[in-house]
Amino acid sequence: MFACVESQHEQSAPGRERVALVLGHLDQLPTLPGVVGRLLQVTSSEESSADDVVNIIKSDASMTAAVLRLVQRADLGLHGKAMTVAQAVTLVGFRTLRNALLSSQFCSVFADDSDNTEAADARCELWKHSLAVGCASAMIAERGQGGRWVDEAFVCGLLHDIGKIALDACLPKSYALVVKQTERRDECICDVERETFGLDHTAAGKHLTTRWGLPECIVECAWLHHQDPNTLPSSVTSVDLIRIVHLADNLVRRERIGYSGYQYVADLSESAKALGLDSHDIDSITEALPDRVKSFCAMVGADGLFDSVMDTEALIAANRQLADINDRLARDNRDLEIRSSYFSALEQFIKQAPPQGGIADVCAAAAQALAQLVKSRRAMGVWTEPATECMHLGAVDLTDGRIDTLVVALTNGDVAESKNAAVDGADASWCCPAGSGLIEAPITIESIWRRCFSDGFDERLWLLPLRLGNGAPGGIIVEGSPATVGKLSGSTEECELLATAIAGTLAATHQRIATGRMSEELLDHNRRWQAAQKQLVRVRSIAMVAKMAAGAAHELNNPLAVISARAQMIVASCDDGETKSSLEIMLDQTQRASAIVMELMHFAKPPQPQPILRRLGDALESLCQHWRGVSSIGADRMKLMVVDPAATVFVDPIQLREVLDAVMANTLDATSPETAIVKINSPSHASDETVRIVIEDNGVGMTPKVLEHAIDPFYSSRPAGRGRGLGLSRAHRLVALNGGRLRLDSRPGKGTTVRIEFPARAPGS
Amino acid sequence: MVEQQTKQVFTTGEVARVCKVSQQTVIRCFDSGKLQGFRVPGSRFRRIPRDALMRFMKENQIPLDQLDSGKKRVLVVDDDEAIVDMFSDLLARDGRFEIATAKTGYEAGIITEKFRPDIILLDFKLPDINGNAVCRTIRANPTYEHIKIIILSGVADPEEVEELQSSGIDDFIRKPFDIKIVIARMTELLSMN
Repeated sequence: MFACVESQHEQSAPGRERVALVLGHLDQLPTLPGVVGRLLQVTSSEESSADDVVNIIKSDASMTAAVLRLVQRADLGLHGKAMTVAQAVTLVGFRTLRNALLSSQFCSVFADDSDNTEAADARCELWKHSLAVGCASAMIAERGQGGRWVDEAFVCGLLHDIGKIALDACLPKSYALVVKQTERRDECICDVERETFGLDHTAAGKHLTTRWGLPECIVECAWLHHQDPNTLPSSVTSVDLIRIVHLADNLVRRERIGYSGYQYVADLSESAKALGLDSHDIDSITEALPDRVKSFCAMVGADGLFDSVMDTEALIAANRQLADINDRLARDNRDLEIRSSYFSALEQFIKQAPPQGGIADVCAAAAQALAQLVKSRRAMGVWTEPATECMHLGAVDLTDGRIDTLVVALTNGDVAESKNAAVDGADASWCCPAGSGLIEAPITIESIWRRCFSDGFDERLWLLPLRLGNGAPGGIIVEGSPATVGKLSGSTEECELLATAIAGTLAATHQRIATGRMSEELLDHNRRWQAAQKQLVRVRSIAMVAKMAAGAAHELNNPLAVISARAQMIVASCDDGETKSSLEIMLDQTQRASAIVMELMHFAKPPQPQPILRRLGDALESLCQHWRGVSSIGADRMKLMVVDPAATVFVDPIQLREVLDAVMANTLDATSPETAIVKINSPSHASDETVRIVIEDNGVGMTPKVLEHAIDPFYSSRPAGRGRGLGLSRAHRLVALNGGRLRLDSRPGKGTTVRIEFPARAPGS
Repeated sequence: MVEQQTKQVFTTGEVARVCKVSQQTVIRCFDSGKLQGFRVPGSRFRRIPRDALMRFMKENQIPLDQLDSGKKRVLVVDDDEAIVDMFSDLLARDGRFEIATAKTGYEAGIITEKFRPDIILLDFKLPDINGNAVCRTIRANPTYEHIKIIILSGVADPEEVEELQSSGIDDFIRKPFDIKIVIARMTELLSMN
């Protein structure tokens, strides 16, 4: 308050003018009747006697009448008997009499004769408040000060808000605004008064009481009753009285007796303790206060004015309930506001979380929702996935709208450090007791934070663990000030709800991705299964061919043997050349039929390869020479090119030749002898693990359909009777038996390229 | 005649006809132990087994014409009737062979004992047992040590052929065959040239 007073001294010129104007108004207030002043002085003096008081009262007729009325009302058992002033003073005690007189005189000084009911009601409330503070002060002094200062306490309490009454009397419209504004802004009335008038009611009270020449203790109480009594300077003489009035003022405000313009209640316990009172004393005073006020009102003839005070008890109880309801509503409002912020965050998360996004995207959406909840600029979501050993990070920076998503593997190489971080996180950070809401992040979280925000953090890191079942596979980390987070921490239930919703969404996302992955795997397995089935069908059909060939060899060879032998027998005894010739044709055909059966058998059950290591160049050279001779295509058109003559091949040499012969036979079938260009290349080097043979021709080529079936047994694109379609099929089978691979590439009209691969050396060498 | 060529046990009267001597001479030789034989249990009838008779005739330089035609006996074993007929015709036309036939492995065993072939032309795939099993059974009996066996088969599997050759056969000829080669192999094995 001293600060307030001093600040008034430092006011600007217009401020000072305003104060002077207000003080001028105050000075125009009617002074207390001189008799009241004298009475106050006499009763305050140690040396005065009852006679002095009686004389002063007798000097004023109206006061004499007032005293006698007062005594009559006080129900002193006189029952209408006549009484002198001296008797009244003796009977009531001159200090009590003074207090009563003072009260009634004040009442008349500030009586409002206007028609403004609202203002009159407000003034009435303020008067009730003053009276109650007077009574309460007296009661506190009775209990706390061993009976000292009782009367002084009453007077000081009664007049503590004299400044308010004065300001209201001088500037009623402005003061009504002050009261309304105080209610709206829920601030201390002094601040609003200073804003409006340039000075508050304590300063006005000091000015008025000084001007009226009232005792020092009244001046000090009117001036300093809002000040913390513990901080008063030593120059103040009435510290105890100020303390009493301060306590009484707050007590009455708490009990809501009357209305002093605002409802703020300071902590009572400190002041009570300083006055030697405990909570029981305060409770007793509180309980007795309404009766005390009631009887006092009766005594000063303010029954009419204080009708409502007569029902104080009920009113106080109602007021208290109302206040409780108000407090509760205010609390609920605050809670609802926090809850609503959680639900907004949840709504935002649901809107932001991409329905088809990855886990890191959902983490980022969760981080964004929490950042806005905590009013922070940066946050990140973390989710670990033990099955895939991955940690998903989604970070947002609202200052530049940056969203980072990151997936870190937890198993190998450069991730060892992050694995430690994640393990630390999982062990020490995510798993905190359920229901703890937003907690301060453990130090281990920092390394995870720095993965996305290398510059660290400004204030503190907070963690919202995301629980799933018994574990907590992740959390949302957000930076923020303790003040902002503190406001939210009361609502842990909503906090957990938000965390559960986020964890649920993350788990669902994980499930969706896992299901998608499983579908892909299923598709892949299906594809491989189909390929295996195809292969199985192929193997089975070859096995069936083998079985059939074996049966056919026996079944066909018997009749062939009979035909052949009978023919031979006839030939031997036949002299007719024509018949002999026909019989010899029959013999040839039986041999041919038998050869077909043998070939089938050979295809179905080829002999096991006996691989040896030999130079590939030699094999190709011999092949070329043979086929140049067979086809009469010269070296200029049947070209051999071996890149590295030292390159070796590890195969069964007979089967290698069989393969190459089959390919060459096909090549020459597909080309015209006059225009054929056949290139036989081996681009491999001696150091290669696999050797390659490429045989390329410029023949008719194959259509995609023919190419697809080119290696199927018995498939031949040649006219019926020109081939059994086993050449390429058998070559393919022999290459596979020797651990190699045969591929065909062909385009109609452009020619065919056959690529064959074989192991360059024995396995393990 | 033919009966005597396959007969296994002879009476003294039959031996007298084969050896072109009197029955009394035969009885004397039997009783003196020069001609081995036995008496029918419960009677005094004498009986002389074929082996003992052959031995007696060789020892006394009696010509064997009555017992042996001089032709080589061939047993043809095949379940295919056309094959059997073809061989019967072929070998009959040749004139140097006596022929017996069998359709199963079991039948081949019985006829071998009765007919005592010099050579068997054996099919590999028989309805009951395979040719190599027949071959092994014959080879297990020392009495048939001299019998030559040629397997004739339409099988093309080299592994199976290898297995056949290891079962004690003298030759393997794949069907269909050149009849000249078959006859050549037979005469060669029987040292007929």
